[in-house]
Amino acid sequence: MNWDRFASLDRRYIFLLMALVIIIPILVPMNITMGTMRVTQDLFDTVDAIDRTKQALMISSDYTPQTEAENHPMIIALLRHAFARRIPVLINALYVEGAPLLDQALKQVTAEFNARATSHADSIIYGRDAVYLGWQPPPIVPILSMGQSIRGIYPVDYYGTRTDSLALTQWTHNYDQVGIVVAITSGTSPLWYVMYAQPKYGVKVGGGCTAVNAPDFYPYCETGQLSGIMAGMKGAAEYEALVAEKFDLEDRRKATEAMASQSAAHVLMMVLIVIGNIAFFATRGRKS
Amino acid sequence: MSLSTDIWVWIGAFLTFCIYSFLYKDNPLYKFGEHLYVGVANGWSLAFMYLRVIKPVMVQPFGEACRITAQEGLRAELFNPMAPANFLVIIPGLIGCLYFTRFIPGQAWLVRFPIGIFMGYYTGVAVPAVIEGSMFPQMKGSMVTLAKFDAASGGGFWSGIFAIIVLLGVLATLTYFFFSKEHKGITKVGAQTGIVFVMIAFGASFGFTVMARVSLAIGRMVFLLRDWLGIVS
Repeated sequence: MNWDRFASLDRRYIFLLMALVIIIPILVPMNITMGTMRVTQDLFDTVDAIDRTKQALMISSDYTPQTEAENHPMIIALLRHAFARRIPVLINALYVEGAPLLDQALKQVTAEFNARATSHADSIIYGRDAVYLGWQPPPIVPILSMGQSIRGIYPVDYYGTRTDSLALTQWTHNYDQVGIVVAITSGTSPLWYVMYAQPKYGVKVGGGCTAVNAPDFYPYCETGQLSGIMAGMKGAAEYEALVAEKFDLEDRRKATEAMASQSAAHVLMMVLIVIGNIAFFATRGRKS
Repeated sequence: MSLSTDIWVWIGAFLTFCIYSFLYKDNPLYKFGEHLYVGVANGWSLAFMYLRVIKPVMVQPFGEACRITAQEGLRAELFNPMAPANFLVIIPGLIGCLYFTRFIPGQAWLVRFPIGIFMGYYTGVAVPAVIEGSMFPQMKGSMVTLAKFDAASGGGFWSGIFAIIVLLGVLATLTYFFFSKEHKGITKVGAQTGIVFVMIAFGASFGFTVMARVSLAIGRMVFLLRDWLGIVS
C-alpha cells in the first residue's frame, strides 16, 4: 500500500470529509442514545433543589458568539429548568460581546413558557420571575460586590430599568438569596466564583463550559467546590434531556440534535488518527 | 427548501463563507471577514460600555449631584458612594482618564497611576483568593483519608482506590516537573510515572478539544442549512 500518499494527503480533503460527516447527520436525523455524566446530574439536582421561595438561580455568563453553539443551549436548558420549577432567575454578563445572546435566550424561553401559560400567575413575568442584570466590568468587581449588594453593583438592569424598582431584585439582596451561581463560560469564569465569591460568601457554584476547558473543572467537582458542570455540547445535551424528561417539555433541543454529527465526527477523527499513525510508522520504517 | 428572506441571515451566511474560505487558502474574503469582526466587536463594545456602564454609573450620578447642588445647595449625602446622586464617582473617572495621558508627550508617566492601582488591586485580591479558593482545597482534595473508603461518609472501596490513584498522579507529576535534582533512581521512576499521567491528561484534553471544535462547526452548519437555506426543519 502506498502510505506516502496518505502521509502527504492535502489537508483540504480532510476538511471536506469532516464537513460531509457533520452535514449528513443533520440532513438525516438519527437518534443517539447517551448516558448522563455524574457532573451533569449533580448540577441538575442542585438547581432542582433550590427553595424557590427563598432563593433564586443566578446564571452568569462570559461566552461570546464564537462559542454560541456550545454555550447557548446550556443557557436555554437552565432557563427552561428554572421556569418549569418556577425558580426566579437572575442573569448577568461578565463579557460584553455575549450580553445580547443572554437577552435573546431569556426572550426565547420566556416566549416558550408564556405560549403555554393559561393565567397571569402562570406566566413568566420579567421583573418578578427573571431579571437580566446586564454587564459590569471588570468581572471580578461584580463577582465580589454581589456578596454585599446586587442592586449596588447593578443599579440598572440590561434594559435600563432601575433594579430597586423590580420585584425580584427587591428581595434578592446578595448571595444569601442565591441558591447557586451557574457560570456559563467559554473561559474559566466558574473558577472566578469559586476563588473569589465562594470562600468569602459561601455561595454554591456550578458551571457550563466549552469542552476544551472541561478538564480544568473536573478537579473542582471532585472537591465539591463546583456543584456540577455541563461539559461542552454533550453536557448541554444531557441537561436538555434531564429537563425535558422531568418536566415533559417538547421544545427544540439544539445540543441533542447535534449529537449524531458529534459522534460521527469523533469516529472520523479516530479513524484518521489511526491511519495517520500507521502512515507515519510505515513511511518512517521505509526511510530508515 | 425555503431560503431565508432576512437580510441579516444572508449577511451571516456570507461572512461564514468568508471565514471558512481560509480552509482552502488565505484570501481577501477571509481578511475582510476577520477585520470586519474585530471592528464591529470593538465599536459595539465601546458604545455598549458608554451607554450601559459609564453613563448610568458615572455620568448620570455626577450630573444629578451637580443639578441638586445647583438647585438646593451642597449636601453631605452627595458624597455617599452608594447614593444615586454623588460626586465621588468623578474620582475613579479622573483616575481612569489618566490612561489617555499616554498620548500626551511628556505626560505619559501619569499612566503609571491607573496601572499601579489596577495591578495593586488585582494582586491584593487574587493572591489570597487563589490560595484560599484553589490551592488549599485542591491539596485537601488530593489527600487520601479514611472517609474516602467509608460508605457512610459518601465514599467506598472504589472511591478510596481512585483517591490513591489521584495522590500517586499528583506526586508523580510533581516529580516530573521537579528539575532541581537529576531524574535518577527513585525520582526517575517517579518522573516516568508522571509522564504517563501527563500523557493521559493531554489525551483527555485533546479529546475534549476535538469535541469543542466540532461543536462550533456543527453550529455553523446548522445555521447554514436551517436558518439560511431552510433545508432542515
